[in-house]
Amino acid sequence: MIKARGKIGFHSLLKSRFWVISFLGALLFVIRWTKGAGYLDLYSVFLKPFLPGTAQREWIKEGENVERNIRLKLLEEDNNRLRKALFLQEFNSDQRISAAVISRSPRNWWQQLEINKGSKDGVMKSQTVIGPGGLIGLVDSTTPLTARVRLLTDPGHQLGAWVDRTRSHGILTGMGTNRPKLIFLNKNTLAQVGDAVTTSPASTLLPPNLTIGIIQFVDEKALPSPYAIVQLSASPEAIDWVQIIKNNAQKE
Amino acid sequence: MLKKNKKIIIFFGITCLQAFIVISPDWLKINGITPCWPVILLLPFSLNNPPWKAAIASILLGIFVDSFTISDISYIPSLFILSLVWSNYGLHNKRIELFLNIGLMAIFGTALVGFSMWVQKIIIYSFLRNNWFHSWSIYVLMSEVIITGLVAPLFSSWLLITYKKN
Repeated sequence: MIKARGKIGFHSLLKSRFWVISFLGALLFVIRWTKGAGYLDLYSVFLKPFLPGTAQREWIKEGENVERNIRLKLLEEDNNRLRKALFLQEFNSDQRISAAVISRSPRNWWQQLEINKGSKDGVMKSQTVIGPGGLIGLVDSTTPLTARVRLLTDPGHQLGAWVDRTRSHGILTGMGTNRPKLIFLNKNTLAQVGDAVTTSPASTLLPPNLTIGIIQFVDEKALPSPYAIVQLSASPEAIDWVQIIKNNAQKE
Repeated sequence: MLKKNKKIIIFFGITCLQAFIVISPDWLKINGITPCWPVILLLPFSLNNPPWKAAIASILLGIFVDSFTISDISYIPSLFILSLVWSNYGLHNKRIELFLNIGLMAIFGTALVGFSMWVQKIIIYSFLRNNWFHSWSIYVLMSEVIITGLVAPLFSSWLLITYKKN
């Protein structure tokens, strides 16, 4: 009796159907155990050619950019309207003059640029000059066809700036080096490395909220006032084209 | 030949110097710093002229170069001193147009101009309390001395020889 049972068990193992059923059972177990991961991966591989391709991705990105530009314009208009209501200086992107850099000496005894637009094109002294990256300097003097720009890095060049995160004001002073110094007006500024430095939103001399640079070093204990070293976001050494921003007060 | 040389001097003095100062070509820069063009032009003129002429030339040249800069610092004091020194030296030393001699004088001249700029900066921008020494000026001075030392033997010696021939 015992021998017969052993024979029966041995024979069933030799049958192919047994192995097929076992394999299917094991497969089902693996599918259940992995929660269908293999199926899903296979499905995604098959689906890949039909997903949005590079061209479609570009179309989507283009659409997103258009949407962002429209939103930015609406927000700027809204911002200008509110600033007008508060009697603050406006920052109107329509009043910009594009100019090419015709000569530069950003590392010499004086840091300056010469641009190919002058008083004939509406450029005036003390107007703000921006490049890709943000503020680079102010117009120092003009001729009918050219203008001289004094860079932020020029020694003694001072203008008001502020750190948006901590809402602390300071004076950005050119030191002759590539990195100007932001001398804070108050103690306990809480400024940190990596904070963005911009023009003050309440500024009456400069357009508001223009990016200047990023704080690279802070000395809170310095006397008579704490200071920070700012890495400029716009590099005058590499800029070929700049934009001059007209103030509303200088509208023709 | 005499007329041609004179024309070359006038062309270089009036056209090229202005062009180099205004354009400040990138291919003639070391770390973004141009040669000291007033020194290059004043050196041959001073060596070949009496002190009073050299002094007047230095003042005029200083006024001209200062008009292209934004700062309150000036080239005039250092150029004035250099013109007197060089004109006195040049009158007694006839074999001055040697290649390296000119380069060496240009190097010392540029160093004096740079030092004068540096001192003026320290005085004028004394309100920059944390950076009164203007350490960046050392970098500018060194670069300017090197590039002028390289350029001067070419331009200045050529100008001096042309002057002498005239």
